[in-house]
Amino acid sequence: MNAFLQQEAVIDATLPWLEDAQKLGEQPAADWVKALRHTGAEAFAHTGFPHPKQEGWQYTQLRQLTDGDFHYALEAPAFDVNALPQPLLENSARIVLVNGKYRPELSDAPEGVIVMSLMDASVQVEGIEEHLVTVGDLGKAPFKALNAAYTHDGVVVTVKAGAEVTQPFEVLFYNVGDTDKAPALYPRCLYWLGKNSSLTVIERHTGTGAYFTNIYAGIALEPSARLKCYKLEEESATACHFSYTTLQQQKDSSFEGFSYATGGKLSRQEYRNLLIDSGISSKLTGAYLLKDQQCHDFTVLTDHFEPDGKSVQHFKGVVDDQARSVFQGKIHVRRAAQKTDGNQLNHALLLSEKAEASFKPELEIYADDVKCAHGAASGQIDDEALFYLQSRGIPQAEARSLLIESFLNTVLAEVSFSPVREVYEERIRAWLRH
Amino acid sequence: MTMLKIENLHAEVGGREVLKGINLTVKAGEVHAVMGPNGSGKSTLSYVLAGRPGYEVTKGKVTFLGQDLLALAPEGRAAAGMFLAFQYPVEIPGVSTTMFLKTALNAVRKARGEKEFSPVDFLKLQKEKMAQLGMDAEMLKRGVNVGFSGGEKKRNEALQMAMLAPKLAILDETDSGLDIDALKVVAEGVNALRSKDRAFLVITHYQRLLKHIKPDIVHVLADGKIRKTGGPELALELEDKGYAEYTGDAALRAGDKSI
Ligand SMILES: Nc1ncnc2c1ncn2[C@@H]1O[C@H](COP(=O)(O)OP(=O)(O)OP(=O)(O)O)[C@@H](O)[C@H]1O
Ligand SMILES: [Mg+2]
Repeated sequence: MNAFLQQEAVIDATLPWLEDAQKLGEQPAADWVKALRHTGAEAFAHTGFPHPKQEGWQYTQLRQLTDGDFHYALEAPAFDVNALPQPLLENSARIVLVNGKYRPELSDAPEGVIVMSLMDASVQVEGIEEHLVTVGDLGKAPFKALNAAYTHDGVVVTVKAGAEVTQPFEVLFYNVGDTDKAPALYPRCLYWLGKNSSLTVIERHTGTGAYFTNIYAGIALEPSARLKCYKLEEESATACHFSYTTLQQQKDSSFEGFSYATGGKLSRQEYRNLLIDSGISSKLTGAYLLKDQQCHDFTVLTDHFEPDGKSVQHFKGVVDDQARSVFQGKIHVRRAAQKTDGNQLNHALLLSEKAEASFKPELEIYADDVKCAHGAASGQIDDEALFYLQSRGIPQAEARSLLIESFLNTVLAEVSFSPVREVYEERIRAWLRH
Repeated sequence: MTMLKIENLHAEVGGREVLKGINLTVKAGEVHAVMGPNGSGKSTLSYVLAGRPGYEVTKGKVTFLGQDLLALAPEGRAAAGMFLAFQYPVEIPGVSTTMFLKTALNAVRKARGEKEFSPVDFLKLQKEKMAQLGMDAEMLKRGVNVGFSGGEKKRNEALQMAMLAPKLAILDETDSGLDIDALKVVAEGVNALRSKDRAFLVITHYQRLLKHIKPDIVHVLADGKIRKTGGPELALELEDKGYAEYTGDAALRAGDKSI
């Protein structure tokens, strides 16, 4: 096939994914939103979904997604409000997005937090496009491009300079799927924390039935801002979840993220953590628990621009049945980023012979005075330890659970907010009873 | 009352026959000592009794308190009242000692149809037993056996035994790694448990342990078989003469064709 025909074939395959974006044309929108949609659609039309040979896509096969037929809708389908899960913490305030659309009537934000739908914010909040028109080349990030083509849904969360929000803030993404006409969801979100402010977010993704959600999130932390962001990805068993997060940290800001991933049949969480200035702390940790034929991918880039940054990428996972996990982590240290302390660690516990874990750990360092370490490994349950526990009367299933919990404990210890850590622990115990 | 009856027990490890026809009967109230050269199969016997995977019984029968022991899973054996103090206790990072003890104790109680301990009662019992064994409470927070010295690991085995209060305790070289004072403390722990409805199988190389835990019967295990059985004086004799009599030609004459 010559290059022209090849390009034609890609466009033929990608057009159905872009068709529904025309529905957005009639809606009023800021110029930058229209331009973003245009750039995104154009980029996606030319690339299509990533090819397995493309950098960063060797391990995660997309057939389950690309063979599907997903459609974007302007309105979320009707659903039973009583079916919404209870908030995770009693004392939290919560906002709800249904199929990516912000539902103010179901929402309530903590004092000091301003929440707006993306479209409202796009005309009302000054300087917002800087954080929402994505950094980097859309031609190399097809999911981000596809999301851009549909720029319409999602929320913008802002915290004013100096505000210390103490009440935990839950952001619930509730997705209503459909087997016949499975929805495609393209929310675009922003957390924007002003100078010296602080916030604790619990971000939950859950739903029913089949759907494809493709989220773009920006996180902007101004100097000395502090964000704790605890994610639970518990999508329905037949869903596909893709998210792409760009974290931009300014001087002396700190980020503590934890992602707990058990849902969906095919998922990928990708992060670009940009430590733009000096003195930044950036921790992204997580746990994945996979079974049946689930595939889950964590792809994390931490990029140190300036000196005295501290970063952690620490993930642990448990993979059962025929499930597959992927971890691709890179720490990039630029020439100016002296005294960087970067740590990356990934361990997977394989519970069955057919379970698989793939790793791609990378360090790319251009500064000379840095401390960086990485490691990745998979293993099995220690038979000797299992027998020791059983010989003390602990039934085998319980002994296995105990060993798996203890394996995950070291990464859960990174969660400094204990009410959420306890929620994660309960979730893990429940999963182990599957 | 017969507690444990082992009849013509043969077992393989890694495709190799290690136990070659063990016969042994332990009655309630008795303390039996098993001595024998390195590699003769003492630990193998203890693992087979505890049900360790990979230790395959090829022939023979074991009855424990009237039940077919070999049909039970390791946890079922513990629930039935069997306890093995390991020669090499296993380290389990991430599981705290206290959590481990509580889970084990309550699992065994549940299986025996007894009520689970309340957290307070459990802590009381734990504190009492630790004090008896001269153990530092700081160890409870650490992962099971993680970073414990050789002697501390053995004390931890003794603690588990004291808390689980088994019917039959098999002590596999619990004395090795203990200093003289610790040896006394651990022996006292064992003696405190001695009663007419408990029994002990004490595997050791040294007479010094048997000075503190007085055995009723002493066996010599060599090359996978019990070669001689006698009273406490047999241990003294072994200390004196070693095992020459039980290995090589003498053993052959004793009737083992497999050497
Ligand atoms: N996994 C294995 N594969 C092959 N041979 C094994 C295995 N485990 C044990 N053995 C062998 O079985 C024999 C008996 O070992 P065992 O540990 O029972 O001896 P022991 O009497 O307890 O010795 P010691 O006094 O040194 O503790 C040894 O020759 C040992 O090498
Ligand atoms: Mg031994």
